[in-house]
Amino acid sequence: MGNFLKKDILVLLRDRTELMILLLMPIILIAILSFALRGLLGGETSDFHMDVAFVIEDDEQQGIVEFIADLENTGMPPEVVLELEHAVEEVKPYTMLEQLMESETVSDMVTVAELDFSEAEEALENEDIVAILTIPEDFTYRSLQKMLLNEGDGSDLLITVKDYGSIRTDAFINMIDRYVSTMNFETAISQTLIKLGHEEVLSGSEGENIEAQELGGVESISAREPVTSFQYYTISMAVMFVLFVGSAIASKAYVEKKQHVFNRIILSNQHPIVYLGGKIISASFISFFQLFILFLVSSLVFRTFPLDEPAFWGGIAVIAMILAICVGGFAALLTAVTVKYENDALNHIFAGGIVTLLAFIGGSFFPTSEMPAIIGTMGNWTPNGAALTAFLKWMQELDMNVILPYLLRIAVLSVILIASSILIFPKRRSV
Amino acid sequence: MLETEELKKVFKGKTAVNGVNLYMDKGESVGLLGPNGAGKSTTISMISSLIKPTSGDVKLKGQSVLKDPGIIRNVLGVVPQEIALYEELTAYENLKFFGRIYGLKGKELEAKIQEVLEIVGLKERQKEIVKTYSGGMQRRVNMAAAMLHEPELLIMDEPTVGIDPQSRTHILDTVRHLNQEKGLTVLYTSHYMEEVERLCDRVYIMDHGQIIASGTKDELKSILSGEETILIDLDRPYPDLVTDLQSHDGIRQTIETEKGLKLIVPKGSKLLGSIFQVAERHQAQILNVNVKVPTLEDVFLHLTGRKLRD
Repeated sequence: MGNFLKKDILVLLRDRTELMILLLMPIILIAILSFALRGLLGGETSDFHMDVAFVIEDDEQQGIVEFIADLENTGMPPEVVLELEHAVEEVKPYTMLEQLMESETVSDMVTVAELDFSEAEEALENEDIVAILTIPEDFTYRSLQKMLLNEGDGSDLLITVKDYGSIRTDAFINMIDRYVSTMNFETAISQTLIKLGHEEVLSGSEGENIEAQELGGVESISAREPVTSFQYYTISMAVMFVLFVGSAIASKAYVEKKQHVFNRIILSNQHPIVYLGGKIISASFISFFQLFILFLVSSLVFRTFPLDEPAFWGGIAVIAMILAICVGGFAALLTAVTVKYENDALNHIFAGGIVTLLAFIGGSFFPTSEMPAIIGTMGNWTPNGAALTAFLKWMQELDMNVILPYLLRIAVLSVILIASSILIFPKRRSV
Repeated sequence: MLETEELKKVFKGKTAVNGVNLYMDKGESVGLLGPNGAGKSTTISMISSLIKPTSGDVKLKGQSVLKDPGIIRNVLGVVPQEIALYEELTAYENLKFFGRIYGLKGKELEAKIQEVLEIVGLKERQKEIVKTYSGGMQRRVNMAAAMLHEPELLIMDEPTVGIDPQSRTHILDTVRHLNQEKGLTVLYTSHYMEEVERLCDRVYIMDHGQIIASGTKDELKSILSGEETILIDLDRPYPDLVTDLQSHDGIRQTIETEKGLKLIVPKGSKLLGSIFQVAERHQAQILNVNVKVPTLEDVFLHLTGRKLRD
C-alpha cells in the first residue's frame, strides 16, 4: 500500500493543474469570500463601526431615590424592602445599558456621544451619527417600578434613525432589542424572586438563600466564541475542496485503466482489492494533508486560528482525519465505477455537480443559518456539512461530546462508501 | 510450455476470436501475424488472463490458467501496445513502482532496475520524466517494465508501432538477445512482416478471429512455392489496366501498391511479354519490373487477400 501511496503522491505533485485546484483555489476563495461576506457572521467588527448619540432626559440617581422612597411606603415587610433595595443595585436600567455599550464587543462597533436632542438631530441630519437613542424622563423610576414591583407600564426607549433599513441602523436596533430582552429577562427573574421571598417571609421559614440560577436554564448569548468570516470560510472551503481529492484520485484511476497501467498492476498478481485499498489510503492521506495545509496557510496568512493551542489542533486533527477517510471512501467508489465501466462520466458529474450541491447544502457558500431550516438539517447529514459543523462546534466549545454525533455520521458514510466500492470493483478475474 | 485450446471470445454478440489453437515450446520465439481487427490483442489478453474466454482454455505447463490465473501471472511479462506507464514519473520511478508490486525490494530491486535499463539502453536517462521521452524511448521503458521480474514468457503486442528506426532496431536486438541468449520464450505480434521474419521461429497467421495458417517461416513460404511475384512500378495509377490484368488468365492475383502493381503468377509462367502488351494497350509507362521469390507478406496476401496493414 505504501508503494501505491508514494506513487499517487508523486503523480499528484507533478500535476500542477490538480494542485492548483486542490490548494491554490481554496486559499484564493477563502480570501475573497472572507472579505466579501464578512458581514454575514458576527465574529468581526473592526470595519463595522457606527456613531450614535444618547439623549439622556432621565436622572438615574433621582429615579432610584424616588423608587426606594416609594418602597418604604408600600407596607411590605422590612426584609422584603431590604431585598428589593439590594436588587435595585443589581438592575439599574441605564447602568446596564452603559455597561452594554462599554463592553468589549459593542465598544469596538459603537461609539456613543451624549448630546442634547437638537445637537443629536443636527448630527443625524449631517450623517455624523446613524441613530439617536433617547432615554426618556423617569426612565429609571418607571423601569424599576415595572421590573421589581410589576407596577405601571414601564418606560419606552426611543430610537430615531435617518436611514431606516441600513445594515448599521439595523445592527443598532438589534443591539437595543437585545438589551430590552435582557431587561425583560431580569424583570421576570426579579419578580419571581420577590414572589418567593414574600412567601418565605410570610411563612416565617428559615429557608436557604434563593439563587437565580435555580430559576431556569438560561443560556448566555455570549457563551460561545464568535466565528470570524476567515474562520468560517477557511473551514467551509476546506471541507468543500477536500471532496475534489476523491475525484482527482478516481480520474487518475481512469487514466491508469485507459493506458493499461491498471492491467500491468493486475498482471503482477496483485489482488484488485489491494489496488482499491491503495486508492483509499492515498485519497485519505492526501485529503488529510490538504486540510492541514489549508488550515495552516490560513492561520499563517490570515491569522485565522491560534497556532499555539495544541488541544485545539488535536481536535481539528481528529475531525480532519475522519473526514479524510470519508474522502477515501468517495475516491474508492468513484474508482470502482470508473474502472468497472471504463468511463469517468460519474467522476465528472461528481466533481462538476455533486460537490457543488453538497457544498451548497453543507453551508460552504453561505452559513446554513441564513437558509431555510430544512437545508440546515440536510446539510448536517452531508459529510462536508457535518464536518463543517463539527469544526465550528469544536472551535467554539472544545468539547468532543458535542461533535461526536457529527463524526459518527461521517464515519458511517465512510463505511457505506467503502463497502459499496468493494462490491462494485471488478473481481480478480473479470478485469 | 503454453497452449490454447479452442479459445473463443464473443463481445456483445460479435465473435472476436473463434477457436484459436496455438502452442509455444520453452525458449521458442513465435510470431502472431494479422491485420487490425484480426483478434490478436484479444487472444493475447486471454492468454495473459486479463480477459476471460467465452469458451476454451489456456494451459501453462498443463495447468489451466482459467482456473488459476496466478500461475501465468507469476511467469509472464507483457509489453502492451499502449505505453502503460505513469508519464508524470521518471523511468526510474516507474520501474521502482512496478518492481515493488512484483515484490522486489532493496538492493535486488535496484540491481534489476539498472539491469533492465542497461538492456533497453536508457541507463543514462533514467531520471527524466517519461512524457519528455521520444515515442521510441517510451516504448523501451514500456518493455523494461515487463522484464523486471525476470519472466519466463514475454508477450509483446506490436512493440514497435510508431517509433524511430534507432529505437526499433534496439527493441528487435533486445528481443533477439533475450530469446537466443537468455532462453526467454517470446510471443511477438507485429504489423511488420520483416520483424517477424527476423525474430520468430514459427508464425501463426490470424484473420477474422481464426488461425488461418501456421508453421515455420519456410513451411509458410512453401505455400507459395509454385508461384512468383512480379513487381511493376508505374508512373501513375491505371485503373483500367488493373481490371484487364485481374481478368488475365495466367495471373492469379493483381494488387495495387504504392508504386504500381504486384502480380502473383505461376512459377516460370513467362507472362512478362503479355503483361507488357496489356500495359502498352493502356499506354501505361512502366518504370521498373522486378521478379522475386515469395515473402511472408506474399503468403499473408495469398491467404487473406489483404495486406497486413489494411
